[in-house]
Parts: sequence; C-alpha cells; structure tokens
Amino acid sequence: MYQYLIRRTFGALVVMFAVATLVFIMLRLVPGDPIAAMLYDVGDPAAIEEIRRNLGLDRPIYVQYGIWLGNALQGDFGNSIYGSRVEVSRLLLEALPRTLSIASISFVVAIVIAIPAGLIAATRRNTGADYAVTLIAFIGLSMPDFWLAILLIIVFAANLHWLPAIGYVPLSEGFWPWFSHLILPSIAVGTAFSAIVARMIRSSMLEVLNMDYMRVARSKGLSEMTLVWSHAFPNALIPVVTVIGIAFALLMSGAVVVENVFAIKGLGRLLIQGILNRDYPVVQGAILVVSAIFVFSNLLVDVLYSFIDPRIRYGS
Amino acid sequence: MTNKTLDELSLAQRAELEKELGEAYDFDPKDPMFGLSKDELSGPDMSRRAVLRLMAAGGTLTAMNMLPLAAGFGDVQAASGGVLTCGWSGVGQIVTLDPARIDQVVQFQITSNVLSGLMHINPDLVGEGDLTESWEVNGDGTEYLFTLRKGVTFHNGDKFDADDVLFTYNRSKDSTKSIHSRVLNNVNSVEKVNDLQVRFKLAKPQASFLTKTLERSSGRAMTIVSRNALEKMGTAQFGLTPVGTGPFKIVEHQLGQGVVMEKFENYYDPSRPKLDKVIIKPISDPEPLAAAMESGDIQLIGGNPLAPELIDRFTANPDMVVNEVTGPGFQSIWINPWHEHMKVADFNKPVSELMKEKGFMVRLAFAKAMDRERYLKLAQFGHGTPAFGTINPAMGFYYDKGLEKTSTQTFDVKEAQRLMAEAGYPGGKGFPELRLATTPSGRRESTVVADILRKNLGVKIQVEAKEWSVNVEEFDSMRWDLRRSGSGGDFDPDDAIVDWMQTESKFNGRKRDKSKMPFGYFSDREADDLISQQSTEADPVKRKALVQKANKITSDKVASIFLFHPADILVYHKRVNFPKQSRIPGLVDLDRVTMS
Repeated sequence: MYQYLIRRTFGALVVMFAVATLVFIMLRLVPGDPIAAMLYDVGDPAAIEEIRRNLGLDRPIYVQYGIWLGNALQGDFGNSIYGSRVEVSRLLLEALPRTLSIASISFVVAIVIAIPAGLIAATRRNTGADYAVTLIAFIGLSMPDFWLAILLIIVFAANLHWLPAIGYVPLSEGFWPWFSHLILPSIAVGTAFSAIVARMIRSSMLEVLNMDYMRVARSKGLSEMTLVWSHAFPNALIPVVTVIGIAFALLMSGAVVVENVFAIKGLGRLLIQGILNRDYPVVQGAILVVSAIFVFSNLLVDVLYSFIDPRIRYGS
Repeated sequence: MTNKTLDELSLAQRAELEKELGEAYDFDPKDPMFGLSKDELSGPDMSRRAVLRLMAAGGTLTAMNMLPLAAGFGDVQAASGGVLTCGWSGVGQIVTLDPARIDQVVQFQITSNVLSGLMHINPDLVGEGDLTESWEVNGDGTEYLFTLRKGVTFHNGDKFDADDVLFTYNRSKDSTKSIHSRVLNNVNSVEKVNDLQVRFKLAKPQASFLTKTLERSSGRAMTIVSRNALEKMGTAQFGLTPVGTGPFKIVEHQLGQGVVMEKFENYYDPSRPKLDKVIIKPISDPEPLAAAMESGDIQLIGGNPLAPELIDRFTANPDMVVNEVTGPGFQSIWINPWHEHMKVADFNKPVSELMKEKGFMVRLAFAKAMDRERYLKLAQFGHGTPAFGTINPAMGFYYDKGLEKTSTQTFDVKEAQRLMAEAGYPGGKGFPELRLATTPSGRRESTVVADILRKNLGVKIQVEAKEWSVNVEEFDSMRWDLRRSGSGGDFDPDDAIVDWMQTESKFNGRKRDKSKMPFGYFSDREADDLISQQSTEADPVKRKALVQKANKITSDKVASIFLFHPADILVYHKRVNFPKQSRIPGLVDLDRVTMS
C-alpha cells in the first residue's frame, strides 16, 4: 500500500508539473496584453514598457518559465501583476477557506439528500416514489446553478430577509454568521451535485439488487433493511465514490458562477479573474492548486476503494 | 427622487447661475493672478468667488459644480455612530488603494475617505485647507508657501509634517513609482522651509494648481502618504491598506471580499467622521447588487455606474433614495476608416468634398441611422443624454446644446438610406457583415446598436464580445470594424477631445501598422490645431469657441458615431443621511454621512 501511495504521489506531481507547464505556455500565447490593458487610461508607452521590464515580462518565455519554476519549487508563486502586487500565495490562502467552506457544506447537503433519495428510488423502482425522485433529480440537473442562486437570493434574502444575500464571514467571527452566509450558495451548488449522486446511487443499487447473492440473501430471510445496508449499499458504493470524488474535486476548484453571484472570492473566482486580467502569476498559482486538488482527490478515492471493498488491494 | 438639471432650474436660479458664471470668467487672461488679489488667493480659505475664478481659468469649472443640490438629501442630522455597508457596483476587487497607482473611480472613491490632500474644495465651492492651515501666493503666481496643519497624525500614530509632503512629491514625480507623474510637470521644485512649511515653485502660473493638482479628491499625485508606513509595510501591503490622515482608517482589506474602514479617532476635525465603521463590498453582477440592497445587506451603492436596468427598480422602491445627475463622459461607436467598405483615407477636406466618397457616405449613413432616443430607451432604460460630440453637458460652459440640431449626425433615416444607396448598397444589399467589438458587459447595449442599424439600413452586424485585455489590444492595433467604447470622468475639455480626437491622441491607434495606416480612427489637421490651441488658451471665452469648433468638426466628419452621455446615479437606503455637502458627482465622501 505504501509503495502504491508513493508511486501515485510521484505520478500526481508529474501531472501537476505538466499541467503547470502547459498553462504557462498557453497563457502567454493567447491574445491580450495585461500591462497595456492595466495602463490603458495612462496611455504612456514608456511607462508600459518600464513596468513590463520590471515584471520580467519582456524576457523570452523559456527564461520566464525557468525563473517561475525555480521559485515555485521553493514555494514562491510570485506576486500578482495587478494593483498592489500582492503575493499569490497570500491570495490563494485567502481564497481556499472560502471555497472549502462552500464545498464542504454543499457536499454535506448533497449527500444528505442524495443517499436517501437514491436508495428510495432503487428499492421502490417503478413506483411513485421512484418517479418523484427521478423527476426531482432531472429538475435539479437542468437548473443552471447561477439561476438557482439568484432565485434563492430573491426569495430568501431580498423578500423574506431570512438569510444574507451576499458575502462571506470567516468562521473565526462566529459559527452562525459563517454558516448563514453559506447556506444559499451551498444549496445552489449542492443541488445539481445531489441529483448526480442520487441518480448514480439508484443505478448502482439496481445493478447490485439484481445480483445472485442478493437473491440468496433474500431467500435466507434477511430483512430489507439488512439487505440494503449491509449487502447492497456497500457493493454499490464503488462507482458512487468515484463520482463523489470527481464532483468534490470540481466543487473544490471553485463554483465560479455561484462565487460571483454571492460575491465570494473563492478559488474559482480568483482563477477566472486572473485569466480575464491575464494575471499570469495568479493563474499559474491557482492552476497548480486546482490540479493538486484533482489528483489528490483521485488518489483519496482510490485509497477509499480498498476500505470499501476488501478485495481491492494495492501492492507491488 | 432626482436632482435638478440645468433645464429644470427656476428662472431666478438660472439668472444667479449665469451671473456667477459671468463673473467667474470676467478677468484678463494675461493676468498671472487671474484677476484676484494676493489675499484672495491665499488661505486659510478661499471664497466661492475666488474658487470659481480659478476653476474657470483652469478650465475645470462646470455648470454642474454650481447647481443647487436638490432637497431630498439628508438634512436630518442623526446621531453619530453606526455601521454603513456599501456595495461597489460592477467590480470584482479593488486592486489597489495606493494613490501612486490608482486610476479607477472605484479606487479613489475609497481613498478620498482615507487619504488627504493639501487642499479641499467643498461642494459649495469654497476652497479650504485639508492638511494646510493657510497658504500664500507670490506676486506672479509661481510660488506657493503652505503652512501645514498642526497636530495632524497618520493612522499609525506618526506625526504629519513637511517631510511627508516632500516624500509624496518625490515619489509622485518618479514615473517608475507613480502613474501620475505628468500631473506635476509644471512643478519645478518643492522645498521644506521648516517642519510645518513647504514652498512649491511652479514653472508658470497654473490656475488649476490649488483646485485640482493639490485637491484631495481629484489630485492623486499629491495625495499625502506616510513615508514610514510605506517603508515598513512595503508597497504591496500599503496598496491594500494605505495609511493616511483621512477621517477613516482601513483596518482590513481582502482582495475580492472588501474593505473595512473604521473611524479615525484622531482626525484633525473632531466633529468628523460620524460613522463608526464602513464596509465596502465589491459586487460585480447587477442582480446580486440589487438583492443585497433590497435585503438590507448593503445600504449604499458606489463604484462603477449602476446598471441602468436597476434604476427604475430602485426608484420604485419607497425605501430607496435615487439621485441622478448628468455624468461627465461620452460613449461612441467607432468606425474603422481603413475598412474597405467604409474607407476614408484623408479627412482633411470639407464635408461637402468628403460626401463624394463612398466610404464617408457609409460612415455618415451609419451615424444618421443611429436613433439615439431609441437606443437610450432600449439600452439605457431611458437614462442618459444623446451625444453628438465628446463635450458633455457636465462641462456646462463648453457644452453646445445646439449641436444635436446642427450636426451632420442628426437622426434622419431617409437620408441615411439614401446615402447607403448612393454608396452602392441600397437597403444594405452587398454590404458585408461587420463585427462590433465590445466587452462582455457591453454585449446587450451593443446588440441594441446592431439591431437599430439592421432595422434602419439593412446592414448585418455581429456583436463580438471579448475581454478587456484582448479588446484593448485589438483597438490599439486597429483590428476591428466597429467598436463600442467611450470615456468617463471628463470634467474638462482636455479630458475628452485631447485624449480622443487628435491624430496623436493616446487612444488613436497607437499600435497600428503605420505603413498601412497613416492615422488611427480619425485625423483632421484643423481639429488638431484647434484642440492644441484650446489647451493653452487662458481666455475662457476664446477657449469655448475653439472647443466648440473642434467639437463640431469631429461631429460633422463623424470621428465616431457619438451615442450618449451617461448619467451619474447615487442610490442609498432612506436610513442613510447623505448631506448636501457630500454629494460630489463621481465621489462617495462618507465623513458627514449618518445613519438613522
């Protein structure tokens, strides 16, 4: 197992390096001059070139890459090229807790809805309950998250005044202020997630419930509860965990649109604004973090398999 | 409720306004003291009359400055204290608050509350010292001796003195450290006389020196910064949480999440500020901004111009106060004169000669087919003023209201269609599809433009929205057919016609291939000369004539299809008491604001 983990970790680092290199090159090849855009109103070509030189952006791409890589390996992702030139690591450390907060609560919301819904739909197949769950899941999947977000704000914030409309409060300022600001964005993000997971659980459970060993277990007189929880559900979990892992990684890389609607500067919003501004250091730093989240989420899921299914073992 | 425009003033008010304007411009332009005595130009304060004269002489006086402010502003003086939460519209983050680097309205609306200048002009147009107690001018208007205010401290406890003025000046003069260094081109030197006195020596008399260069709100070059704080914090942190001497101090700033300001207890005026705390949240999208206002999460909207679709919504809300005045700016549709079907290789001809060229016929047809009233109704929800030139109504004295009738761009669909037919494109047949370049936020408005031209001329226009950095690059290189953009914060003719209408203007295709395109989007020698002359003309009446003539040329020769002048809108909850003295278009000064 340890050898497996070491191999996978090494592989993850290679993937991250490849992604970072690709993004580095692509960013500099796409149209758009960040310095000219930043100083557009100033209109002084000499000032633009001066700043470009100060930031090292006049150097060949391979030189810029070498400098950036050398610094990144030492944990220095550089500074934003905009405005106050804040350190990228600082921006990332500020954004991550916000995204983690939304992702975590969305995840809980989604799982709490999806597991019972999926199980009900599977065990009561072709009944009213099954159709209801399927319909709700399709609605959840079809609704754009930004539309749902705005609807939630209009209903629960602007009209009912039950919850705040926008913003984020750190947990250090109190549980309820933190949590109340995350309820609406988490519902907006978690709805589609729960629909996907619920459908996945239903499909996987249906497959397992039709297996021979389930028929044997049923004929032995086991209760429905035991059949579902002790035999069917654990065996149905493998594909479900895969989907959950990918979806969580997607959540962690930032629900950009929802972050924008709720004015929360999470990882997704940081990344998108960096791309739009051509803020190279911010994009490179954020992409490294996002790729790390994806590869290590996948690794975690693979490790979880071995706990869920004892037949799965990783070794040399 | 809305503020009054020039048109809505009573006869008595108009007469008073005209009298003041007349007196403001009544001086010998050769007089280095602008018709004022040494005492009148010196501090501890300057009369409204003196300020008006200096603003007139400096070309910064606008009728909007002088308008009586409407009732409806909070005259009720509620108790001090409270927390005001503001939403900054149309912006995702406040990238910097370092005065050496700020170049956006959303930034200096904040720094105006945190940092100070040497002077301040209040909305009654009385000049007063901000960080100065008094000042003296020499006989020829080239030397100013400022006596600094005693006992002023920075937010970090450091004492303010002459060394900070010198430090600010030296930093701002350095073009590698400040993007505003050119503002100080007329300042030869700044000397420290003693800890509380500094002497500025100018190359030549400058009317706008006190009212603009050193002014707290408009003069970023001489916005005073703390030397110690900069050295200790470094420019990155200073740009997030600048240390100043203003009524509020910044206690927290997380990029993208907002700025938190608290009352500065040791502000030199103990009666200000009134609020304990101000929180500013950047909210880029209009719907969440509206919901935040309606839910009470925020009580005031600042930042970029409000999305027009929200104005009527807020006006209809009895809990909101909406204050609207004409904004200082213009928006246009630019036409690439090097496009084969709209080509004009030389504008240096009379309009009657240009009218014989197919490319100009098309250009003029487009301009005449642009139904500006319809555009304002559909794209701006009825807010704004039709434009026929860069000179906007907020410039007051320089604005030519008659241009909407005399310009060749006056709306006339039949004539536009005739021109297109004469150019060889009857009903738009045979005319190629054009791309209208804009940014994502301008997509809807550009679609309205495209629809109007399609309906009136039969031409097909594809709206192409690209993000700002790409949009700018293509504009500078002249790689576009049509482009929608304009300017804001234009209180002086120089801000508009110098920046946009001259052959060498900074936006006029500076990165184009000059071997193929001798000029950018427009070039006219006569306009160039008039614009250069007006820039240095001290006689405001003569300057007005030059400005209006240049403006007419650019309008008649269709330098661009001038679209509209945007409105300046301030929205706040009725619990907020926003006093008259604080309502300065373009700014959000909060030091006198209270909450009921």
